[in-house]
Amino acid sequence: MTWRIGVDIGGTFTDVAVVNEADGSIGVTKVSSTPADFGRGVIEALEQAISRYGIKPDAVTLLAHATTVVTNAILQQKGARVGLIATRGFRDILELRRSARADLYDLFQDPPSVLVPRRYRMEVTERIGADGKVVIPLDEAEIDGLIADLKAAEVEAVAVSLLFSFLNDDHERRLGERLRAALPGIPVFLSSEVLPEIREFERTSTTAVCAYVAPILESYLARLKGAVEGMGLPAPYVMGSGGGVFEIEESLRMPAMAAESGPAAGVIAAALAGQQTGRPNLISFDMGGTTAKASLIRDGKVETTPEYEVGGEGSASRWLHGTGHPIRVPVVDLAEVSAGGGSIAWVDPAGSLRVGPQSAGATPGPVCYGQGGTEPAVTDANLLLGRLDATSLLGGELPIDYGRAETAIKEKVADPLGISVEQAAASVIQVVNNAMAEALRIVSVERGHDAREFSLICFGGAGPLHAVALAEELEINEVVVPPIPGAFSALGLVGSDIRRDYGRTFFAVLDEADPAALEAVYRDLEVEARRMLARTGIDEADWVLERTADLRYIRQAYELNVTAPARIDTAALSMLANGYHDKHELTYGHANRAERVQIVTLRLSAAARLPGLTLAQKISARAGSGSEKARRLVWFADTGRIDTAVHERDRMAPGDTLRGPAIIESLDSTIVVPPAWTARMDERGFILLTRAAQAATTKGDAS
Amino acid sequence: MTALDSGVHGFDPATFVVIKNSLYAAAEEMKIVLAKTAYSPILKVAGDYSCGIFDATGQMVAQGPDLPIHLGSMPDAVKAVAMAFDTFEDGDVFIHNDPYFGGSHLPDVNVVTPAFHGGKLIGFAGIRAHWPDVGSATPGSYGAVTEIYGEGLRLPPIKLYAKGVLNRDVDAIIFANVRTPEERRGDLGAQIAANRRATQRLSALADKYGTDTLVDAMAEVMNYSERMMRTLLARLPDGESSFEDFCDGDGIIEEGDTEDQPFTIRMTVKKVGDSLAVDFTGTDGAVSGPMNAPLSVTASGVFTALKTIVDPDGLAPPNSGCWRTIKVTAPKGCVLNAEFPSPVVYANHEISHRVCDMTFGAVATFWPDNVMTCSQGTSAVITFGGKDPRNGQRYVSYETIKGGFGARPVKDGINAVASGISNTMNTPIEVLELSFPVRVDEYALTPDSGGAGTYRGGLAAHRTWTVLGHKARASSCLERTKSPPFGLRGGLSGMAARIWTEDAAGTLHGAPGKGGFDVPDGGKIHLQVPGSGGYGDPKGRDPAKLREDLLDGYVTGEAAREIYGVTDVEKLVKG
Repeated sequence: MTWRIGVDIGGTFTDVAVVNEADGSIGVTKVSSTPADFGRGVIEALEQAISRYGIKPDAVTLLAHATTVVTNAILQQKGARVGLIATRGFRDILELRRSARADLYDLFQDPPSVLVPRRYRMEVTERIGADGKVVIPLDEAEIDGLIADLKAAEVEAVAVSLLFSFLNDDHERRLGERLRAALPGIPVFLSSEVLPEIREFERTSTTAVCAYVAPILESYLARLKGAVEGMGLPAPYVMGSGGGVFEIEESLRMPAMAAESGPAAGVIAAALAGQQTGRPNLISFDMGGTTAKASLIRDGKVETTPEYEVGGEGSASRWLHGTGHPIRVPVVDLAEVSAGGGSIAWVDPAGSLRVGPQSAGATPGPVCYGQGGTEPAVTDANLLLGRLDATSLLGGELPIDYGRAETAIKEKVADPLGISVEQAAASVIQVVNNAMAEALRIVSVERGHDAREFSLICFGGAGPLHAVALAEELEINEVVVPPIPGAFSALGLVGSDIRRDYGRTFFAVLDEADPAALEAVYRDLEVEARRMLARTGIDEADWVLERTADLRYIRQAYELNVTAPARIDTAALSMLANGYHDKHELTYGHANRAERVQIVTLRLSAAARLPGLTLAQKISARAGSGSEKARRLVWFADTGRIDTAVHERDRMAPGDTLRGPAIIESLDSTIVVPPAWTARMDERGFILLTRAAQAATTKGDAS
Repeated sequence: MTALDSGVHGFDPATFVVIKNSLYAAAEEMKIVLAKTAYSPILKVAGDYSCGIFDATGQMVAQGPDLPIHLGSMPDAVKAVAMAFDTFEDGDVFIHNDPYFGGSHLPDVNVVTPAFHGGKLIGFAGIRAHWPDVGSATPGSYGAVTEIYGEGLRLPPIKLYAKGVLNRDVDAIIFANVRTPEERRGDLGAQIAANRRATQRLSALADKYGTDTLVDAMAEVMNYSERMMRTLLARLPDGESSFEDFCDGDGIIEEGDTEDQPFTIRMTVKKVGDSLAVDFTGTDGAVSGPMNAPLSVTASGVFTALKTIVDPDGLAPPNSGCWRTIKVTAPKGCVLNAEFPSPVVYANHEISHRVCDMTFGAVATFWPDNVMTCSQGTSAVITFGGKDPRNGQRYVSYETIKGGFGARPVKDGINAVASGISNTMNTPIEVLELSFPVRVDEYALTPDSGGAGTYRGGLAAHRTWTVLGHKARASSCLERTKSPPFGLRGGLSGMAARIWTEDAAGTLHGAPGKGGFDVPDGGKIHLQVPGSGGYGDPKGRDPAKLREDLLDGYVTGEAAREIYGVTDVEKLVKG
């Protein structure tokens, strides 16, 4: 029996998901995260999982890991001391940023941190022009002085970012060679290697982020690797923000790629679930304690975007507000809103209800947890509406203080608004649902997709409580609740391909571009990619190389990513242009087919496919014994409070169908099934919720 | 007590919040469509535009997260359309830019689209976007002229599309009168598409909640912002204070003068209970050059400061309701209440920057904890135009350079970031050089440019360009060359602005702070923008912070000794 294991470090818990490769059965272990040394929690969770599921370490074929080490280092400003070398006259680019402030009217706002303080920013005499030709040759004589300064400053990593190095990397390369020779053991990142793309601030920022987190990521991964190998497990793979895993060595070449790995894993898990239940078009919805994230999967494919800031505030619309540090690496395209079970409800000075953006988080948590929380949260509202068990959660491990939650909602929300406690709780849910529906809207309707053609797959501890309401808001007819929604993201780690994305700026107008020159760039990228793929040891038959291009109209500033044919000839160029017009029309509602299209970046995504997996919940011995365990009064938007059956998910058997209203409880989450909806468990333990009207006509599941 | 005193009216709490949030989401959606599909750098990368949702009378219901400068003046742009036409049809699109009919200055082109549901007018979507050129003798339309007739193509509110059909005659006139018309067409297309997004969304909201409910909610969203501003204002102490400052000039050297002459602005702020009045009596009269501001532009600057002061947590959604409790007056015909045909192009940002900063200065006497010192106080515009030798095409480049953001009563200012009424971004050097025949030689922070204080002012940036392979016509629009940004409570002024040129032989020449000038092939332009003022006595600065400033070169050893009074700088640095 062989296994795959995924480890996902979150703010509160470290989740380990195991999958039996033979039958797809899954298991989960949760331990508290250990922020002082995340590796400790990982090892503890692995040890528990291995003993609980009787896994032999040498039977583990893949160990994959999503880490918060990168994001944490940036948020807590605990990265390395970095020396930055820029073109003479431009060392302040990293601090000058794009010059817009994050908040229009906040008198007391602070700018984002500067990863490399000015005292460690240096300059070298050189200049490449906009045509890629040398304007001022690199002054080699200055390099010894720079090396001496870097040594005197005791830097732990170096970033080099020179103007126009994406067109001509000669100066960066020569400077890099000298630095690497003179500074053994100190990682040196060149912007032309990390991100050979236009825009000096974004390229410098990406390079600086890599240098800033490299030493911390390297020592963390080295320790982790040693520890897991000591347990007899294989070396771990690292999850990338673009939705694939790669080897440790590869991640250290491009540490910025490991920034947003946990959320990416969730979307990959959703895509995997879609694949095995025959649903290629899904909107994924992940709701936890503080944020909710939505993403779109179309034809089984996860969309990525290079527009991301690490260590900043999330933005639902992907409009970067300048709160963090841009990293232009492919990141799974998520719309994120500050809305979760811990979001606090309050009444503002003008008498209007608000939910968030403050969150009670994990500590103190919602009032009903009785752990010191005093401000009513979304979870408290769910409790008062009968949607959560009024006595305890987590299978009895977490006692619930109903009275305290009721008092908080009454005093902080109901009384100031002059409405009943029930109305207040219902209003809180309506407002938070609207905020989350906006995230779903952004990834679907706003980008030209008809949400009604998609199923909604929900996970995260709080997702199944709210999913049906969101589906109704977007007129989606089906909701998929996977097994173990609370730790579902970790399953994405074991279902990922081994993947790496490559890109290179290539400026040309499509109608006058030389197809051979494009083909040559793609081939170059493929040579690099094949080297990476060869190292995976996976058979070449399972390699997938996909070419895409970032295109725009000749005078625009933002590109859209369009699929490119496997061979570039003249016909391929017009296919690319048409692809762009179509995507522009879809995304923005207009296109200008007479306009010339410009190529900006050529991209290659290289993946080595792991054997397919079919996830399944192990059917409990208690299944089929009648799942109804209690009845209680539950509030629904259309009916108010009505008598509702409460079922235990663990006791449901495949094929069991429940008519709403119903509540389905499991250890880590609660599913709300409103009156007009029906819930059915499929053969693999997924619960499929459909609108009752459609239920009769829904065809059998493909699973 | 009025009906506005407490609570949301006519809606259950959740429905109100949900519709309100949807309206603001729609305004943000407009921004995405506009920025990502526009053609000119000033829109696509610098972000010089505002998007909004308006009611059927032209009041602004929701402003996107765009530019504070348009807060107070955008409603006039839509009202002008609402008043100029008797009937509206689905598919109509209106365009105008006339500052004497609801515009701000000619480069800001307003596109207004009515939104319908079930045949009923629900409201309007409107976008004001800065076109880098609208004609006139100067590329960039930033010449120092003496009548609005010289400032470029002037469009009163006109119908560009009737029921979805383009008026080709109007279209032809517009594009015959602007430079680089192909680029302008792309920008206009983006404006129209973004408006369409918003009108579709309004129609969908009407479908969901009912037209009447939506229209009532739009009114209530504005009432709500008014209520919030009144509540927050009432919590602050009453007070009255005056403030005076002068501007460098209007760009015109009058007969008999050898240089541009300054003019004075005087303001009085009076706050009683939950309302506030700002009056500019005593301000100098109209000037010959384009520094005359329409009153709505003046008001926008005041509103920006007050929103920051009164509502730093952003509780009141930005819309027309916010300003009902604030009254801004200026004598007719003075430089802050322009009369036709005074030229206005510089005033749009330079005057609104000025009155914004002055508002902080004025209220500092009675609200010392809620203010910042004077920020850079100018948009520091530089334009280049000519024929690109690389392809023979005409080009116009428009950039704004950022200085300091004011120091606060508890913390330093911010280095080189947009402040006050502005929030445009810089153009990446690599994008600039690929687009236009110039090279940037330096872009860096200037040591000691932040005003000294217990809390130091933000540093300014400076930038140097070389013109490549052709003679360029440049123009500048710069303030605070003679009146450096003021400090507060003993803090010193920030560094003043300066612009100069350098010919290929290395000889330096003065350049005008406002107006056009030629730069020969290989010539350079140097622009130093202002730092912000300091807050509190420099001698009171925490030595640990001053040490950091010295290590990072934000403050020089000389300034530490002479201004901050450090006796042994070396010892302080060594720690």
